[in-house]
Formats: sequence, C-alpha cells, structure tokens
Amino acid sequence: MDFDLPEELEEYRKKVREFARKEFTPELAEKCDRDEKYPDELRKKTLAEGLVDFSNPWKTMIAIEEMCRVDPGLGISATVPYFGAEVLMLHGSDHLREKYLSRVAEGKAIMGLGVTEPGGGSDVAGLKTNARKENGKYIVNGGKMFITNGSIADFFVMLVRTSPPDDPKKRHHGLSVLVVERNFKGFDSNQLKGKLGVRATNTAELILNNVEVPEENLVGEEGKGFYYIMEFFNISRVFVAAQSIGIAQGALDRATAFLMNEESRGHFVGEERKFKLAEIATRVEASRLLMYKAASYLFNYRPNPMITSMAKGYASETATFAAETAMEITGATGLQTDLERLFRDSKIMEIWEGTSEVEKIVISRMMMKGDKNE
Amino acid sequence: MNDQTEMMMDNIGQFAKANINDIALKIEREGVSEDLYNSLIQQGLIGANLPAEMGGAGLDRTSYDAILFQLARASPSVAFHVFMNNSIILKILEKASKKDIIDRIVSGKIRLGLIPGNIIEGSSEKSNIIIEPSKMNIYIGTENASLIDGMPDLLKSKSLGLRGLKTDLFTSIKEGEKLLPYSDVEKIWNEASWDAAAIFLGISEGALEKAIEYTKVRKTFNFPLKDYEPVAFRLSELKSELEILKNTLFSDDSKEQMGMMLKTISAEFARRATKYALQFHGGYGYLEDFGVEKFYRDAVALNALMFRPILDKRTLAASIYGEKSGYL
Repeated sequence: MDFDLPEELEEYRKKVREFARKEFTPELAEKCDRDEKYPDELRKKTLAEGLVDFSNPWKTMIAIEEMCRVDPGLGISATVPYFGAEVLMLHGSDHLREKYLSRVAEGKAIMGLGVTEPGGGSDVAGLKTNARKENGKYIVNGGKMFITNGSIADFFVMLVRTSPPDDPKKRHHGLSVLVVERNFKGFDSNQLKGKLGVRATNTAELILNNVEVPEENLVGEEGKGFYYIMEFFNISRVFVAAQSIGIAQGALDRATAFLMNEESRGHFVGEERKFKLAEIATRVEASRLLMYKAASYLFNYRPNPMITSMAKGYASETATFAAETAMEITGATGLQTDLERLFRDSKIMEIWEGTSEVEKIVISRMMMKGDKNE
Repeated sequence: MNDQTEMMMDNIGQFAKANINDIALKIEREGVSEDLYNSLIQQGLIGANLPAEMGGAGLDRTSYDAILFQLARASPSVAFHVFMNNSIILKILEKASKKDIIDRIVSGKIRLGLIPGNIIEGSSEKSNIIIEPSKMNIYIGTENASLIDGMPDLLKSKSLGLRGLKTDLFTSIKEGEKLLPYSDVEKIWNEASWDAAAIFLGISEGALEKAIEYTKVRKTFNFPLKDYEPVAFRLSELKSELEILKNTLFSDDSKEQMGMMLKTISAEFARRATKYALQFHGGYGYLEDFGVEKFYRDAVALNALMFRPILDKRTLAASIYGEKSGYL
C-alpha cells in the first residue's frame, strides 16, 4: 500500500499552493469577508492558470484543499463556478453539455445547483418547487434557499417536482432536473447577507414565478432527478471533505507557527498546548486518509457512499475542532488574525452538502443493510 | 437562589427585553451605542457590584452575576461591556482608591478602555488588543496596572470575531500612572471568575433557548426536529448540564476556588452548547438574522478574553494540590 500521491499531483499541489499564497492576499481576503463580496477576478485568474480542472477530480480535490488552507472564503469562491457540473456531465444531453458547460470552462459563465428549499434542507424529497408541462415547456414555480452562486450564476441545475409521487412513501419519485437560466422570465434572486463565515462566497434565495423552461433543458430522464442529485452529493461530499481538510490544515499551520514563535521568543510552551497541537495534526491526517479512500473509490467509478459520508462527516468535524482548538491555543492573538476567519468559515462544513447528522444516517443505514466496507 | 438575586433576574430580564432584544442585531453590527450605554448607567448596572461607599450599588455576588447572566442571554457583547467595567476596571480603581475617576465612570461622564495585556493569554507585541479604546485606558502590563491618558496609536484592525465590541490593536502606548502591582490585578482576575462564568452560562442559555424553540417548529421528513432522538437527547443533556452549573453559580458559595472551577467548566460548556445550538438550526443558524451565530462566535471570542486555558488551570491545579502544580 502506497500512501504517497503520484509525483504529478504533488507538483500540482505545489503549484496551487504558490498561486494561493500569491493571489489570496490578506487584503483581498479581509475585504471579501467584510463586504461579503464574491472575488470574480480571482475566479478568472484561477481558470486562466488552469488550476481548476474538472476533467481531473484528483486535481480538483487537491486544489480545493490547498486553496482553503490559505483562505476558505476565497478558496471556495475560486473553485465553485462549476458547482453542479457533474450532474450535467453524467446525465445531460450533448446539446446541454455543449451549450452550458463549455461557457463555464471558458470562464464566460458561472453555474449553480438549486436543490435546498426554505422548508427543507436535509429532506430533499420533500421539496415543493414544481414544474408542469405546457406547450413544450416546463412552467416552474417555487423557491430555493441557501444557493451557492445564487445571485451571480448564469444558470442552475435545479431539482423540481414534475409529477406527484406514485406512492406517498416514495416521495423521491417524480422529481426531475432542469437547467434554469437566470435570464428566463419569472426568475429572481436575493443575496443572503450576514453569514457567519465563507462570506466571500455568494449565497442567495431563488424565486421562481412561472418560469418557462424549454423542454430540451430536462437533464436525463424525467422522474430520475432524486437519484442524479444523490449521486452528485456522493461526489460533492468528497470535495467538502477537501474544503474541511484545507481549513483544518490552515488552522494547524497557524497554531504551529504561533507556538514556534512563542518558543523562539523564549516563552514557555507547555505540553498542554503541544498535546492539543498533536491532536489536531492527528485528526487532520486521519481525515485526509479517509478522504483519499473515498476519492479512490469514487474516481475509479466504484462510489462507496458509506466511506464518502465518513470522510465528509469526520473531515467537517475536524475542521471545526481544529479551528476552535487553534483559537484556544493562540488566545488573544488568534482573535485578531485570520485564524478567527477560519474559525467562522469552518462551521458551515458540518451543515452543507449533508449535515453531520445526515452523514451518520447514511453510515448507520448502510452498516445495518450489511453494506460494510469489506 | 436568594430573593434578591431572583428579583434581579426578573428586573434585568425585563431590562434586556425593553432595551436589548430588539436591537441585538444592531449591537452586533455597530457595537454598544451611547444610548444603550446610558441606559446601563441609568439602570445602575455600571458600578452595580461596587460598595456603596465607593459610589456603587453594593450588590452581593449572586445578584451581580444575575445581571451578567441575563445580559449575556440577550447580548454577550453588552454583558462583557458590564463585566469589563465592573469586574476589572472599577475593581482596579477601587483597590487603587481612585474614587474621583470611579465617580465619573459610574455617573457616565467618562468611559475607560481596557488593554488586558498580560492578564490574558496570547498577547504579544504584534497583537496587543485594546477593548473599547477611549481617551483614558487601563493598561495591564507585566508589572503593574496603569492609567494611560490619551488614545494609543491604533492599527485599525478589522476582526469580525467580536462584532459587538470595539476592539483594535495598537503599536505603542506612553507610560501611564501606576495604579496597582500585577499581583493585585491577578487577584482581581481570579475573583472575577464567578462573573466570567455567569457570562458563559448566560451565552449558553441564550443559545439553547433558541435551539429548543427552533426545534419545536422546524420540521424535517414531516416531523419536528425535537421528535428525533439525536436532537432531543442532546439538547436535553445540555440543558441539564446548564441547570446544574446555574445551581452552583447562584449558590451562596463565593469561594475563589469554586469560582475558578465553575469558570473552567463553563468556558468549555459554552463552546459546546452554542455549537450544538447552531448545528440544530441548520443553514439558518449560519445567518445573523436568526440570532444564534453570535452566541457561537462570542463563546469562542470571549474565551480568549475571559478564560486562560493555561494560567487559570494552573491556578486551579495549585488550589487542588495545595502547592504549585502543572507548570512543566
């Protein structure tokens, strides 16, 4: 068993790290955090440098981790213009892929994923947004909540109900995925301000009032939407694990530098704080190994949702643990540095793309189905 | 809880309802306004624990901690404001017999800033924090606490961690009038452990109340969140811990050792309780409008200002062993 990444990926990691250190300036990070402003120039630079390559998921995962290590708000912003692309890649028609994804790859468009609704986060199948067919079009009504890129994306891969479930116990039946453009009549969005963290990223509420969507914008088959989205979450959760590990590693870097500086100044650093540092380091390493295992299954076309949920759940809890413990280690210094921002950024990791509770439901359900990691 | 403390709990609960609850979000965005500060003065909350002969209200420990607890439930920033003035600044001035300055503070004529310096952990020449910078500030240095006349050169730091308080960093300060030796300040700090615990527990109660209310009405998979074991059990466990800690806080005990024990446990508890409270709000908890993220943020930020994970635990260890302990 070899725990090292191939040399090519290690080289890529170095390249991303250098880019992030150079471009993610403290001033930019602070400004985007304070003003809740999406760093669009950074998105363009990242694409121009070829640092976001969704044709290579290993590279994507490493880019996300390294960028979030420097600054999570900027790192997520730079790597999220493709959010939801996998649904189109795997199930979209050639026409849809060509029409929409190529523009994102060229940096001419941003996309988003519209799943969560105001009344239901974890309960995806309980969504209320509906689409009825009329004269070769879908007429969409409803609303979406907490949508990343919500007020800046040009189009959304959106989960809607196209028919009532055939059985009340099978609410996940009758859901479909449509591509909905911002400039379709009846579409509106409101940016959500006042977030605790990842304030550089754009989050919005979407309002859909008789939005007319061409029939050709149906992704895959009608009624299969729930399965497509669950499949997508299995992919995106690996990337959230990468965001989380980036944050945890970033907190570890800062806490280590603080203690080294304390020692170099002749200040006593006792074992209590060193043990805390060791605990963060151990959890970061364990999270990374779990993520690599989940990624290895997934990227070799053998997805293992249980391992993916373990990776996402554990890494996200490691992110908050690491950031909070680093704050404790650094005390007043941490409060006045970008570590404090990492701390605020970390909490969302335990919430988006499946809360920690949802990950535990997935893990325990699969364990009890006998679907163990054997 | 004695009658006086119970009455104080009711009074301050009403005060918070009338003066803080509706502007809690504004406090997070803009800090404690002059108007609100004047209300604190008029209510007699600044100077509440000072002896009457020094111009204060002379409240006993539990009544004073009831004030901090209730204020923290509504706004941790306001509670810290009162703590900083009463438990640290006025106590230093009282011990230094600076009645003239105390009178001006208690009557609302002046406000002092605090540079906690060496009394908190993690201060360095690069990040010497000043809280509510003013024309006159108390500076706690390595050897003395001193009174600094004039505003230090500020760095215009823009941390969003403690949004309801004005904090900054400074480059240098001029020497001030010596007030007390450091050892006396350390004693004041240790005596204030009960007060810090009151704030940590108030933060916890504020956050848990919100989580309990939210999980009654928020449904997922057709059932309220409270109907799910992991939610109901966790919040019930946290509420139980909180009630037991409150019993200690509002007991007649005022021993310094018990105060330090309670602060040590409450500081960690506040971080844990607020984290679960936010988690059970899901994505909405991440938005300031829902009023729970401030508790999560402040539980950690105020840990850095009111609890010293090494020095306080060393004090606690020494009191347990009866001799110097936990220093290697």
